[in-house]
Amino acid sequence: MAEKEATVYIVDMGRSMGEHHHGRPMTDLEWAMQYVWDRITATVATGRKTATVGVVGLRTDVLMPDIRRLRETIKPSNTNRGDAISSIVIAVQMIIEYTKKNKYKRKIVLVTNGTGAMSDDNIEGIIEKIKEIDIELVVMYVSCRRDSTFMLILCSGADFDDAEYGVKEEDKDSRKAENETLLRTLTEDCEGVYGTLEQAVSELDIPRIKVTRSMPSFKGNLTLGNPEEYDTAITIPVERYFRTYVAKPISASSFVPRSGTEPGSQAPVKGNVEGDALTSVRTSRTYQVTDESAPGGKIDVEREDLAKGYEYGRTAVPIEQTDENIANLQTFAGMGLIGFVQKDQYDRYMHMSNTNIIIPQRANDNASLALSSLIHALYELESYAVARLVTKESKPPMLVLLAPSVEADYECLLEVQLPFAEDVRSYRFPPLDRIVTVSGKVVTEHRNLPSADLKDAMSNYVDSMEFITTNDEGERTDDLPIDESFSPLLHRIESAVRYRAVHPHDPVLDPSERLTQFAHPSEDMVKNSKSRLGKLISTADVKKGNPFPNYIQKKFLLTNAFRFIVPPKTKGRKRQRETEKPLSGLDVDALLSLEPKRTKISTENAIPEFKQTLARAENIDAIHDAVQQMAKIIETQITHSLGHSNYDRVIEGLGTMREELVDYEEPALYNDFVRQLKGKMLREELGGDRRELWWFVRKGKLGLIGKSEVDSSAVEEEEAQEFLAAN
Amino acid sequence: MAEDHYTREEENYEDEELDETSFKSVKDAVLFAIDISSSMLTPRPSPDPKKHGDESPASAALKCAYHLMQQRIISNPHDMIGVLLYGTESSKFYDENEDDRGDLSYPHCYLYTDLDVPSAQEVKQLRSLASPADADEDVRQVLEPSKEPVSMANMLFCANQIFTSKAPNFSSRRLFVVTDNDNPHADNKGMRSAATVRARDLYDLGVNIELFPISQPDNEFDTSKFYDDIIYKTSPSDGDAPTYLQPDTNTSTAKGDGLSLLNSLLSSINSRSVPRRSLFSNVPLEIGPDFKISVNGYLLLKKQEPARSCFVWQGGETAQIAKGVTTLMSDDTGQEIDKSAIRKAYKFGGEQVAFTIEEQQALRSFGDPVIRIIGFKPLSALPFWANVKHPSFIYPSEEDYIGSTRVFSALQQKLLESQKLALVWFIARRNASPVLAAMIAGAEKIDENGVQKIPPGMWIIPLPFADDVRQNPESTVHRAGDAVNDAMRDVVRQLQLPKAVYDPSKYPNPSLQWHYRILQAIALDENFPESPDDKTVPKYRQIHKRAGDYILKWAEELKLQASEIFGGSAAATSTLAKRGAKTEAAGEHPSKRVKVEDSASSVEDEVKKFYAKGTVSKLTVAVLKEFLHAHGRATAGKKADLVDRVEQYFEQKS
Repeated sequence: MAEKEATVYIVDMGRSMGEHHHGRPMTDLEWAMQYVWDRITATVATGRKTATVGVVGLRTDVLMPDIRRLRETIKPSNTNRGDAISSIVIAVQMIIEYTKKNKYKRKIVLVTNGTGAMSDDNIEGIIEKIKEIDIELVVMYVSCRRDSTFMLILCSGADFDDAEYGVKEEDKDSRKAENETLLRTLTEDCEGVYGTLEQAVSELDIPRIKVTRSMPSFKGNLTLGNPEEYDTAITIPVERYFRTYVAKPISASSFVPRSGTEPGSQAPVKGNVEGDALTSVRTSRTYQVTDESAPGGKIDVEREDLAKGYEYGRTAVPIEQTDENIANLQTFAGMGLIGFVQKDQYDRYMHMSNTNIIIPQRANDNASLALSSLIHALYELESYAVARLVTKESKPPMLVLLAPSVEADYECLLEVQLPFAEDVRSYRFPPLDRIVTVSGKVVTEHRNLPSADLKDAMSNYVDSMEFITTNDEGERTDDLPIDESFSPLLHRIESAVRYRAVHPHDPVLDPSERLTQFAHPSEDMVKNSKSRLGKLISTADVKKGNPFPNYIQKKFLLTNAFRFIVPPKTKGRKRQRETEKPLSGLDVDALLSLEPKRTKISTENAIPEFKQTLARAENIDAIHDAVQQMAKIIETQITHSLGHSNYDRVIEGLGTMREELVDYEEPALYNDFVRQLKGKMLREELGGDRRELWWFVRKGKLGLIGKSEVDSSAVEEEEAQEFLAAN
Repeated sequence: MAEDHYTREEENYEDEELDETSFKSVKDAVLFAIDISSSMLTPRPSPDPKKHGDESPASAALKCAYHLMQQRIISNPHDMIGVLLYGTESSKFYDENEDDRGDLSYPHCYLYTDLDVPSAQEVKQLRSLASPADADEDVRQVLEPSKEPVSMANMLFCANQIFTSKAPNFSSRRLFVVTDNDNPHADNKGMRSAATVRARDLYDLGVNIELFPISQPDNEFDTSKFYDDIIYKTSPSDGDAPTYLQPDTNTSTAKGDGLSLLNSLLSSINSRSVPRRSLFSNVPLEIGPDFKISVNGYLLLKKQEPARSCFVWQGGETAQIAKGVTTLMSDDTGQEIDKSAIRKAYKFGGEQVAFTIEEQQALRSFGDPVIRIIGFKPLSALPFWANVKHPSFIYPSEEDYIGSTRVFSALQQKLLESQKLALVWFIARRNASPVLAAMIAGAEKIDENGVQKIPPGMWIIPLPFADDVRQNPESTVHRAGDAVNDAMRDVVRQLQLPKAVYDPSKYPNPSLQWHYRILQAIALDENFPESPDDKTVPKYRQIHKRAGDYILKWAEELKLQASEIFGGSAAATSTLAKRGAKTEAAGEHPSKRVKVEDSASSVEDEVKKFYAKGTVSKLTVAVLKEFLHAHGRATAGKKADLVDRVEQYFEQKS
């Protein structure tokens, strides 16, 4: 449980804070407020009820209770009068009033440019009070000189005339000098830290990492052997904690505009974000089963009347309460060692999960000693252990790999999940260093294999692109830059939410540079390896483009064959392709042409006959005619479809037609048809509402054939996309 | 069906598997066509000497179909399977049967199991047909062979119609023909060519015919007589084409005994099979600025979970799965709302900070999909712990950049040789969250039969961000001395897994297998299996036999050292510790119990004593909990529950 916090920000809103300095487009106040907003929104974002924030305006007297209204209010006022010291007194009183005598982390942050009157009456009293109730005082000083806006977190010898930052203010008026001394004394006496505003603002984009304290995900025994059965079993009480765990970005919830806030009915308060007019969305779940006799074919059933179950093929198998226990494998908590493997025989890509650590049970010296001996034995033998882990009774077992971790002052086992047999998908791919032909020949020189020159060029390039990481002393290390890499999505959303909370009408910002620092290789590296890369590019001779005609790719997809494709010797239109023959090589086409029935495409055998008619076609008219017939069949299928009963057939017919006409390079025939079809469907001319079918057409991407698919198409890509997108 | 598609579109962000197919649905339909002739029905001695009893080829084929059906219900829950018998005396095709006296469309074709996702009822029916001796008379009648020959053309067109109407738009449709007749229309040229034409129709429809030929005792099955005209190659005729272009089924249309081919389709492990499809396709792999090749990504390793449970309604004649319908309502008015009206907002300090849909998308977008190399590091730079999820596998594709394969190969070989990894900025899909990842090369692995186990390629291992790294909790370190470590080393040496590697194929997921097994037993009214076959349970007897003595020696050393380090204070530590320190309760114990902890051992004994007297309920909750925890049992619940559990423990043990 984090400590309760109470922080009061005192913001100087004197007229002089409205001036611009340093060529910045924003006023000093706005600039300084970046810092304040960042701190305030960070606090709000935690959602903690125990972290409270207050704001006092200096040289103004508006009260600002609400963060949404705060931004509207923080503007330079028309006065330069107002006493920074008295504002501190107010803040101290606020804190005392709020925190009473309870345990709190108390803090006051003062943002001022140090102009305006300050009175040192009773300053000792103030200091005493601040120290007595243990308030951390932070003063941010915004200079109004030429190039010198900076912030002081007073308390550690900060000087308004800090030479290091080149802000010698020659013509400082005497009041200002007095104020400096006053504030410095005040803060020095209160003990604290110091930094410039430049620094503070520049560090704003370093993402803050939320530290999460891990809870053990398993407490139990690490065993070797079965202590229940054998006397030769080892039992070591251990605890398991996360080593890595993906931090998820905050999630958005669903809202709808509050009813009754239609435009005009209630003028929204000026400056309100839409958030005020939103109401949350509730979901309710009802259950339905098919009942032919009921209107609509479905009836609602009560949740209480439903049993838990599973699908077994088409059959629903309810599992009674009594069976449910049987259906779950009975397991007991524990981590049982199965055996040991060699480190160098293990493939790192088998890691299946986040990682955990295993440490001895707390305050158990002997467990710690026993585990240590296992850790060291593994370490010295360069081995890993494989274990079966059940974290709680009745949980499914996992197989985990345990690796020793030995550091100067820390020892543990690192743990990661291993794949089960079912988790490995055996997709096969051709080798990358040789090519085996169907006839069994092994080829080592091929356009898909790298030449010796290419291998050399690659090797040189890789060696020239070493990613450099250094430690604090600037020495090179072998580490990956994990500590400096921040989750781009998480921090971008977080800062966008915070920014939007303060600036409701601004567009969303690009991600900060730090979040995308690893998106590209560093300029130095690129420069260093430039010549090697040039050599590699010229040796590799990679060309952009699609080398294979469509029909080959589609074909292989259909037959589930590997998508590793050897290009055909001739790129050609389907009209010229060899006709498919059975294993014997028999010319079935000749037989087909003898079939007297096959002049018209029949409904029941439409797809084969459509393809065969096209293959036989000797002129464009014949193709045209086949398409007409097919179109008719498809439209009839749609018209006669009860609900979506025929939709799959329709989609198959459409898809086949499209595929064939792409291959025959007759895009216009298809495009004309699909345009008409869309019109008819959406006008409900084909047996009623067919929007659902149109949705399937869109999903199958069966829209217009565009230029990118067939050169001769008159349809531009945008048109093709629009056609599919529009309802 | 349609609803499925709608919902699927919504859960896109986290859904890893990308359906990038064309208009076809990635499903498979298998129709068995089993020849029922008198020779197919004649029992023959089994070629396998271990099996006794003669069995007819037809019955063996039906059994195989039955097992395959059972298996596919689990492995491919959405795929279809059907059984068509041909050459039977009786005929059946949908609503037609011989009683109709009308024109039979497909005489001597008997559609025994319609092509569909099987139901439990159908599985049981097929089971009864596969062992007709136990079956009813009318079941046996189905297997009566016809007196006149069946027209193959007719059978093939019958199959065509079944596929056309029942499995439209499937990406894979297969007709398994099981027969021992290699020349059905030897003397009728017309029938023959009719069959070849019908076979061509099936080919054009995208149906693959796979033949399971069974040789007759005196007659080797000769495909050149008839079937070579029926069956089409699915690989190109180019002899120089890579072998991988051949379809990756276990069956072949050439030689081999049909029944053993059929049996090879069955697998020993029940698991859901996943259609081969890519996770992402043609993503540029940017090796350097302005130098890209294209790759496809696959999930070769992915945790398989049991199918989700559903709600079953049993109020009707047959049990039905209830479909859940979610309605969205506005919280203030309770009115149903349209999805398009929904806005997304973040909770921020008790209020909502809203973004438009477009802004939401903009926030998630970090550019187009890419795998961009930002440098190389030695492989040793990748720590064991730097992992957050399963890897993705990438393999080159020539589709966007010609020459990708050779460049990819050069890089893969270089990384293997120099033991290096590439650090990459990785965006898998549009709007996918970018990650920093280690790209490592993986060598091809081949098993003893020459079958590829792990393909060659590269693996992308997403690295944790600084945000994902947890601090190590405090822990006291007591280093064991050399004597103890040496003793433990001996133990470790004794217990290496075979070849000192972890082989996933040896370890099916026990809870998944058990789940499937029970589900099947309930669905088919079979008896529940006694106990699970759990390969993940350590081989205790072997451990005891091989390493027992070494373990005792280690325990001895450990005890020595513990008393050396902690000396008299050891006792103090162990009493302080709630569960006591782990020492051997020497002297007091006749047996050499290595595991024993001071207090734990006394708890153990105490509970045992109370159990023997039947007074477990007299023990305190603390003692009960400690005992249960030490045995991996849950410690939640009331005292009565704890007592029950303790008693259960002893009952199970005895």
